[in-house]
Amino acid sequence: MLSRAQETLDAVASRGFSRAEVYAKRGRSRLVELTPRGTVASVHREEGWAVRAGDDRGSMMAAATGELPPVGGMGEWPEADGDALELPAPGRVAPDGVAPWRAPADLEAPLVGEREAVQVLAVLAATLEQELPGARLLRATLADGASEVAVTNSLGLSAAYRHRVAHLRAEAAVPGARTGRPATAVVEDVVREARRIDPRALARRLADRLSVGRDGRPPERDRLPMLLAPAVVVRLLEGLLPLLVGPHGFELASRQEDRQGRFASPHLTIRDDGRLEGGVLAAPADGEGVPTGPVTLVDAGAFRQPLLAWSQCRQDGRGRVGKKGGERPARGRPIGCARRASWRDLPRPAPSHLYVAPDPEVAVRSLLASLARGVYLLDADGAGRFDFREGRFDLPVVGFAVADGAATRPLAGARITGAIGTLLRGIEERGRDLTFLPAAGGLLGAPTLLVTDLEIVPR
Amino acid sequence: MGGRHGLHVWENSLPVAFETLDTSAVARTLSQIADRPDDLADAYFERLEEVELPAEGDPPGFRVRREEGLAVRLVRGPEAWLAARDTIAPEELADAVRQVARALPPAAYPAPHLAIEPWPALPAPAELADLPLAVSRAIRSRHAAFPLRLAVRRHRRDVQVVSPTLVPAAEHEGFFSLAAELPWGSWGMLAPDVSGALDGSEPSGTARGRARGEEAAVVAVAETAAEALVERFRCRQAPPPAARRAAVVLGPHAAAVFLHEAVAHALEVDTLGLTGRPEGALGLAMGPESLSVLDDPATAPASVRRRSDDEGSPVVRRWLLRQGTVEQPLADRAWSRGSEVLEPGAGRRASRHEPPGPRSSHLELVPGDATDQDLLDGADAGLWVAEADRGRLDPLSGRFVLEVPCARRIRSGGKADPIGRFVLVGTVAELVERVVAIGCEPVATGAGWCAKGGRRLPVWATAPALLLDGVEVAPC
Repeated sequence: MLSRAQETLDAVASRGFSRAEVYAKRGRSRLVELTPRGTVASVHREEGWAVRAGDDRGSMMAAATGELPPVGGMGEWPEADGDALELPAPGRVAPDGVAPWRAPADLEAPLVGEREAVQVLAVLAATLEQELPGARLLRATLADGASEVAVTNSLGLSAAYRHRVAHLRAEAAVPGARTGRPATAVVEDVVREARRIDPRALARRLADRLSVGRDGRPPERDRLPMLLAPAVVVRLLEGLLPLLVGPHGFELASRQEDRQGRFASPHLTIRDDGRLEGGVLAAPADGEGVPTGPVTLVDAGAFRQPLLAWSQCRQDGRGRVGKKGGERPARGRPIGCARRASWRDLPRPAPSHLYVAPDPEVAVRSLLASLARGVYLLDADGAGRFDFREGRFDLPVVGFAVADGAATRPLAGARITGAIGTLLRGIEERGRDLTFLPAAGGLLGAPTLLVTDLEIVPR
Repeated sequence: MGGRHGLHVWENSLPVAFETLDTSAVARTLSQIADRPDDLADAYFERLEEVELPAEGDPPGFRVRREEGLAVRLVRGPEAWLAARDTIAPEELADAVRQVARALPPAAYPAPHLAIEPWPALPAPAELADLPLAVSRAIRSRHAAFPLRLAVRRHRRDVQVVSPTLVPAAEHEGFFSLAAELPWGSWGMLAPDVSGALDGSEPSGTARGRARGEEAAVVAVAETAAEALVERFRCRQAPPPAARRAAVVLGPHAAAVFLHEAVAHALEVDTLGLTGRPEGALGLAMGPESLSVLDDPATAPASVRRRSDDEGSPVVRRWLLRQGTVEQPLADRAWSRGSEVLEPGAGRRASRHEPPGPRSSHLELVPGDATDQDLLDGADAGLWVAEADRGRLDPLSGRFVLEVPCARRIRSGGKADPIGRFVLVGTVAELVERVVAIGCEPVATGAGWCAKGGRRLPVWATAPALLLDGVEVAPC
């Protein structure tokens, strides 16, 4: 595919475009979905490409389905217009200390079969019913796919890589105990290969989450130590993304500092790593062919930088003032983080595996045991609100009240709220159970966190 | 307008991609897999083009995306199989047929010749340039100036559905979308037709007359956009209202979003199927007798008008609510098979890679007899809502939230001071029951992009303003 991309690049260059890039992707996937009407099993073959090209006076993008041709479905290349196109050059992003790329060994595994996939969902449904009588799946989807990507540009940057991703999402409901209003819950799992999904474990998580939603009562307003499960921390991370991704992050982060200039607790380290060992989305290069690698965004409580692509930083490290959206100068180290939702879409800086570093020595059980009086929050129960101007956040949650290290009663109809700075500086401990969930077009990961000084209030 | 700077939109005289497709051969191939009496099999051919002139300073400065592909589907009882491809080629069709049949036949399935029209010539950037310029002019004419990043897209879609017993004519759609980024939020609208020459038939009249018609249509779209953008500018620092119950007048655009979210989504058979038998909703009194809502794709604006849906079923003039009572939910072929009361014709596909599902296309709210002034007089101390950003329906509880970016207080029968972002909340039943008056002047409008289940589709509406009494208003 890379050689076809190179041929297309030559064809584009021969039309007078001084800068050009060719991106091609093809993939196949199987998807099985349980719906209220029955089962839908589908197989997909997708193939498409995108060319970006231009010169100092204008630029264009052409994208189409099918194989990469010299000209393809366009018949001719579109006219360039608007602004000049900038493309990354080799060496412009020097990923210091990046380990050499080793392709995962399990990319070759065949896609899950239709019967296997149906069986996974059937086991999930049956286990859910056993664990929580009265609960039922509303919708469940298992997708398993493999894809390959080639990208090359006229400045000499080229890359080719493959992906293998399986995703299960299940949504279930149980009739409400008190109000009659049904409680609902969603669980997700993302792994490289569908056969690694454990439907029984997911069903138990779903049942736990549903029973808390069904039986839980709103809490009294209180300020308590809180144990936040990974699903809750991931939703908090998602809300914090404006300060973790893109040049505006510097300004937003500085607003959260306290009078002593502290940004976060020493227990908080946040990284993004596009080639994370074992990471489901790991690849040697991003959607523009720029090498990926780890970058530390928050280092033991100190804000280092947001996640930045080459286009958001000057080579001299002082940054640039972008035209789009009034971007501020970015002085951080860029890394390959331009992600493309598909071949149709332009590359945009986004996380691939952005995560809170766990503490491998700390078991969640020990964190729970240390809680004399507090709450253990299992999941978010809706979208959060993050106001960076006011520096406050709000997230609906469900979980348990805890006394002497044991759950005492379920909580629902609750939200946690407080200053964003208090959340960041209130982290006391972190567990070892790093869990990744799909969010923001990539994966966000977190272990269980013990946090103090936040308020829990009824919704 | 015409010429280099004309806004050449959807010309119905353009050849539809699939007019030369050998649909009989495709139907014969499909008949080999639909071998049980109740089997439903179809092939779906799709061609899409999206041309974009992005906001200034957002290269690439001109963007063209073209897609074509096919999908084969087999529905047997409660099970369905789908195979989709990003190519229209005989061997891909045959392979897709084999995949949904889930069998290796003794002889390969026939690979019918699939000749389709070549892609038309590429548009030039200048063909889209007039709309953003007209919006800027319309904003200036309102004595307003603010940072605005406006992108314009032209969407075209050709569809051909073939089944062993049903081969409707190919369908095409064409429309524009505008997306603006403002310092105080984003905004978008759909414009079904900015060509004065478009009336659903062959273009007529002189070239100069058509050009004048197109120019007038561009100005009309720009005026609508400018009106919404300037209102957001003027309300940008306005405080949200206090939580309370209030009378609310929804302008035609806001009413379109409200009806789409609260009535159409609530009456989709897959939504109804989450809580019981969809047929159980028939005859349910949902609103006042004055409230009648239809879905009729055949009366949509000319450039998005449909004769058949994305499953090839003829579209119907579907009374979702007649005099406040549920008459016919939105159904597709799979849900309506085996039902004596559900009618197909509302199956829509977001893409060849998605199975069809029941969705509305073009909602109509039957007008009442209230003038705008009557509605304002009936809502003293209430709120005038010109636009709604989006709505959210919880299909299990029926709880509904309508997000409103800004509004005006109503005082002494007029629109007064601005107020900031808030939501209208309640159950669907409660909100629909609170409709107390309906305006007499329907407006054709894009209800917006609907993204139910992540499947994004444009939806349209023709609606007058609505007065709801005692609605729960809450700040965001």
